[in-house]
Amino acid sequence: MLSDQDRIFTNLYNQGDWGLEGALKRGSWSQTKSFIDKGRDWITEEVKSSGLRGRGGAGFPTGLKWSFMPKVSDGRPHYLVVNADESEPGTCKDREIMRHDPHHLVEGCLLAGRAMDAHHAYIYVRGEFVREREALQAAVDQAYDANLIGKNNVHGWDFDIIVHHGAGAYICGEETALLESLEGKKGQPRLKPPFPAGMGLYGCPTTVNNVESIAVVPEILRRGGSWFAGLGRENNTGSKLFCVSGHVNTPATFEEEMGITFGELIDKHCGGIRGGWDNLLAVIPGGSSVPCVPGDKMRDAIMDFDGLREVGSSLGTAAVIVMDKSTDIIAAIARLSYFYKHESCGQCTPCREGTGWMYRVMERMVRGEAQKREIDMLFEVTKQVEGHTICALGDAAAWPIQGLIKNFRPVIEERIDQYTHNAKADGAVPSIAAE
Amino acid sequence: MKQLFAEIFIWWHGQTMGTRLFTALNGKFVGEDDAGNKYYVSKKDPKKRWVTYNGPAEASAIQAGWHGWMHGRTDVPPTEQNYQAKAWEKPHHENLTGTAAAYRPKGSLLEDGKRPNVTGDYDAWSPE
Amino acid sequence: MANIKVDGQEIEVPDHYTLMQACEEAGAEVPRFCYHERLSVAGNCRMCLVEVKGGPPKPAASCAMSVRDLRPGPNGEAPEVFTNTPMVKKAREGVMEFLLINHPLDCPICDQAGECDLQDQAMAYGVDSSRYQENKRAVEDKYIGPLVKTIMTRCIHCTRCVRFTTEVAGISELGLIGRGEDAEITTYLEQAMTSELQGNVIDLCPVGALTSKPYEFTARPWELNKTESIDVMDAVGSNIRVDSRGREVMRIMPRINEAVNEEWISDKTRFIWDGLKSQRLDKPYVKKSKKLQAASWNDAFAAVSRAVKKTSADKIGAIAGDLAGVEEMFALKGIMEQLGVNNLDCRPAGSALEPSKGRASYILNAGIAGIEDADAILIVGSNPRKEAAIVNARIRKAWRASGVPIAVVGDQDDLKFDYEYLGKGVESLAAVAAGDVEFAKTLANAERPMIIVGEGALTGTAGKDVLALASSIAKGSGALSADWNGFAVLHNAAARVGGLDVGFVPAKGGLDRAGMDKAAAGGDLDVVFLLGADDIDMEAYKDAFVVYIGSHGDVGAHAADVILPGVTYTEKSATYVNTAGLVQQTTRAVFGPGDAKEDWAILRALSAHLGEALPYDNLNQLRGALYAQHPHFADIEAPAQEDAKAIEKLAKVPAKIKKAALSTPINDFYLTNPIARASAVMAECSQLAAGGVNEAAE
Repeated sequence: MLSDQDRIFTNLYNQGDWGLEGALKRGSWSQTKSFIDKGRDWITEEVKSSGLRGRGGAGFPTGLKWSFMPKVSDGRPHYLVVNADESEPGTCKDREIMRHDPHHLVEGCLLAGRAMDAHHAYIYVRGEFVREREALQAAVDQAYDANLIGKNNVHGWDFDIIVHHGAGAYICGEETALLESLEGKKGQPRLKPPFPAGMGLYGCPTTVNNVESIAVVPEILRRGGSWFAGLGRENNTGSKLFCVSGHVNTPATFEEEMGITFGELIDKHCGGIRGGWDNLLAVIPGGSSVPCVPGDKMRDAIMDFDGLREVGSSLGTAAVIVMDKSTDIIAAIARLSYFYKHESCGQCTPCREGTGWMYRVMERMVRGEAQKREIDMLFEVTKQVEGHTICALGDAAAWPIQGLIKNFRPVIEERIDQYTHNAKADGAVPSIAAE
Repeated sequence: MKQLFAEIFIWWHGQTMGTRLFTALNGKFVGEDDAGNKYYVSKKDPKKRWVTYNGPAEASAIQAGWHGWMHGRTDVPPTEQNYQAKAWEKPHHENLTGTAAAYRPKGSLLEDGKRPNVTGDYDAWSPE
Repeated sequence: MANIKVDGQEIEVPDHYTLMQACEEAGAEVPRFCYHERLSVAGNCRMCLVEVKGGPPKPAASCAMSVRDLRPGPNGEAPEVFTNTPMVKKAREGVMEFLLINHPLDCPICDQAGECDLQDQAMAYGVDSSRYQENKRAVEDKYIGPLVKTIMTRCIHCTRCVRFTTEVAGISELGLIGRGEDAEITTYLEQAMTSELQGNVIDLCPVGALTSKPYEFTARPWELNKTESIDVMDAVGSNIRVDSRGREVMRIMPRINEAVNEEWISDKTRFIWDGLKSQRLDKPYVKKSKKLQAASWNDAFAAVSRAVKKTSADKIGAIAGDLAGVEEMFALKGIMEQLGVNNLDCRPAGSALEPSKGRASYILNAGIAGIEDADAILIVGSNPRKEAAIVNARIRKAWRASGVPIAVVGDQDDLKFDYEYLGKGVESLAAVAAGDVEFAKTLANAERPMIIVGEGALTGTAGKDVLALASSIAKGSGALSADWNGFAVLHNAAARVGGLDVGFVPAKGGLDRAGMDKAAAGGDLDVVFLLGADDIDMEAYKDAFVVYIGSHGDVGAHAADVILPGVTYTEKSATYVNTAGLVQQTTRAVFGPGDAKEDWAILRALSAHLGEALPYDNLNQLRGALYAQHPHFADIEAPAQEDAKAIEKLAKVPAKIKKAALSTPINDFYLTNPIARASAVMAECSQLAAGGVNEAAE
């Protein structure tokens, strides 16, 4: 349970002033110069000791990622790129930061920039986020006006922040596709290696971080890495923004300590499951691209990176999608398949061809218009996509279906049986999915 | 009368006297197509169907609409289903091979026109 | 160098190698679609997956990962890669299945069938039946020009064509739009591509999505006879493969020759073959009562013999055209020597190049591949894009790789690389020679500067000055050192260097082409032999007796009094020397039409009628005589190594600078010779390039 004084995002619901004045009152931009003066190694070490893991989904330790940046520049500038292309279905945490607590992010950019010897930060904001970009741009402008960032600023570390507006493609949330898009090219992921830390934006060393990862940095430095490490469990430290949507009584985005159980999370913040815990069918615990978990396994699951791996899923972006028993789980996953088919960039073969195939089979399964052997075939197709693609979108498209087949195979078979049972000699079948 | 004699003496040319007798005894008339061919079904066995041709006996003269019924693909003769010939269902055209009207490709010795180009052809230059 | 284990076999490879190269080095075959040696790595087909031991539990794309990306084992063992494990096989089968689900079953009606990468690899990695029950995707075909036909449903999105056009050809007209399943290759606005190299995308396309439009549905690859030969459309001497069926050339494909054309050929080279079948001279003609009439060979020879015997040796001339092989020029020169004729010329355009000044003075000394070694390039009076599209691609390659500084004197055109424009005329060249412009310093500072002089710049009144100035720039900038000769003449006709090598130029006291023009117009030249020479002013020769030896009814044939029908480069074995002095030989792929004979044989027969027969009865004897006189012709495919002193001598010539514009003689890339002018495909391209037809035909 996170106590109020441990909360990082204190204006998450915009109860105060999101601008610079309000941020200063809430403690932002204090001691910043002293952190800058302590140098890059101190900042990196502090973030490392906090145990902060990337908040964008993969959970890679942030401090470690920063330490991959070249220690001594070879003449090329270093860049910090903040990934604010928050497009994962179910996820709505970065937008709250950008709308209501943007100075955390701006200050975080400066500190992270110092930690990797970068004088420029690019914040790539999702195309659909208009108000978010306006608020963020306003916050950046305020910081420039107050000489907190920019040339010859009060912190003694020249730093420019450029807020860039994307055009609304999910794939541009993949870090290398984001860099391509930022460079003005078509948003298609790059081949790795070389990794961005060696050759990123415009061929220069670059680190791409999620908004939340950057926004928590100032608070970690102010209170010390050990404070952050004291929250949550080992290897899964700190607090985290959770976004709960779906069939709970009060869906919400809120900050909570890592390691809380799912049951506690829902009961405390979301007013319980609609229709009670017995009505819980399944949960997608980390945004659309992680496998779903059946409800009975979920209540005691621990909401952090390792805890969710134990139930065969992943924390992802901590976007919890709750589905009660009124949900047609096959249709729900088919809708996700449609999303991935629509958002596949078309660069590499397995994803380009596989997402469409998976979606079409899923569409038939929703109606039950399939053979039972096709369930195994579908599973095999997801395996053929997973791990064979350039970026992780192929995996993301495969996992929800794998989760469905692993956990809800009887439901699919029942649907197929029902379709066969209803079949008429002349081929006309009443649609089940229609109602 | 002429038809009757023809059936008796030039039996190889069309239907025979035997068919006529058989039809009269066992056959139930089903319908007649545009070319005048008459279709019959056996009174005892509805699966047994036959046709008497108007003119020489030639199986390809059965019209497209009747073909399915004759071959047992459907039990509904076109007369009962308000059959309209589709654009691609052409009327029967007798085989002209061996006659003067037979098909010959363009550029054939017996046909006008220029033959299509073949391997080794070239356009020679001429001074004009 | 790095050690790597491939399928258990340890090998040592340079550490910039990709895993794919390392695997091939070890003898393991890696299937691929998107990877191509001469293009950037895309890594998107995922066919080349291999297993890397110790890495993440998923296969890695071997085309995109280099050997140095692999970490050695805990005890310093070499990293290990497998190409034949069940995991790799399954991964490749999976990718193949994905490629095939939306690929139409078009093989029976597809021009690519039989030489299709997808077909071949499906034999190894495909399964016999499809599990895909859904509807296949269909994509609308695009119009991308008169040469390349598209059947976009077959496209597997390897983007080789996109990478070729942007990287090698330098046009950004082809691209991938849309995303996911809806991704399509298109020219965006459905316009024709404007590159002279666009035909190469047909070879690059691993499936039948891009095929040859003129060749469509005419032949199958397995019924064609493949003859390795040399192209004569320009002075590059691109290595080609002539695919023929029976007596007909069906298509022309490139062969790999790193020193000449790598594996690209220009569109004129590739799509010329319909010109080989039209406007052919297939029987001898003799002019009787002012009209050309078909005649027998003997009548034609007799007519020539009568005309020659009526006049004296100083009133006879011979001009060799752009497509003449060395053998026939040697034979014609032999006849002229027997007759005592001094009026010979193999430079119809009249350039200032003289074989007497040394071979180095008229070839591209560094070789075409040598362009890549140059670190500063000055192009004088040439448009390499039109004169030798393959050379232009080489310059672009060098420019892309190292950003070599390039400057141009002459026409200002879009050459597909950035250059500094120094001016149009000789005076700008003189400024470079005098060191008055910034680029002169760039040349002087360069270690291996190259001065490319177009043949067009060497014609006309300023020709000698340009040669002198270019030589002095070469000398002054240190382009003539012991291990580098940066003086480069870019010819625009296949016959030219061979003609100069064989000495087909005015003998002592003889007239050159301009001199013959004047003499003929003044009635001082009675008989002229044209060896395929069409690009000269025929008006001057209307009173002379013109003997035309050639393959196509073009300008020369119309002005002729006797036509002796020869054959084209696909119908004879002839020697050609490219602009870099590389001696190469064509091979006969098909026989000539009608009564047409090989040119050297015509001349040999004619010699018997004119007097003494030439001393050879077959091609081998002719070549023996040729090699005896000019030994370097025997060194086929040996790179030319000439003494740079010849150029230094030229540089001493004091330049009287005239004001004259330097420009390329080629106005229309597609119509430079009689074969091209007979080709309907070339005519269409020419019209399109001129802006005649912009819209899609449909």
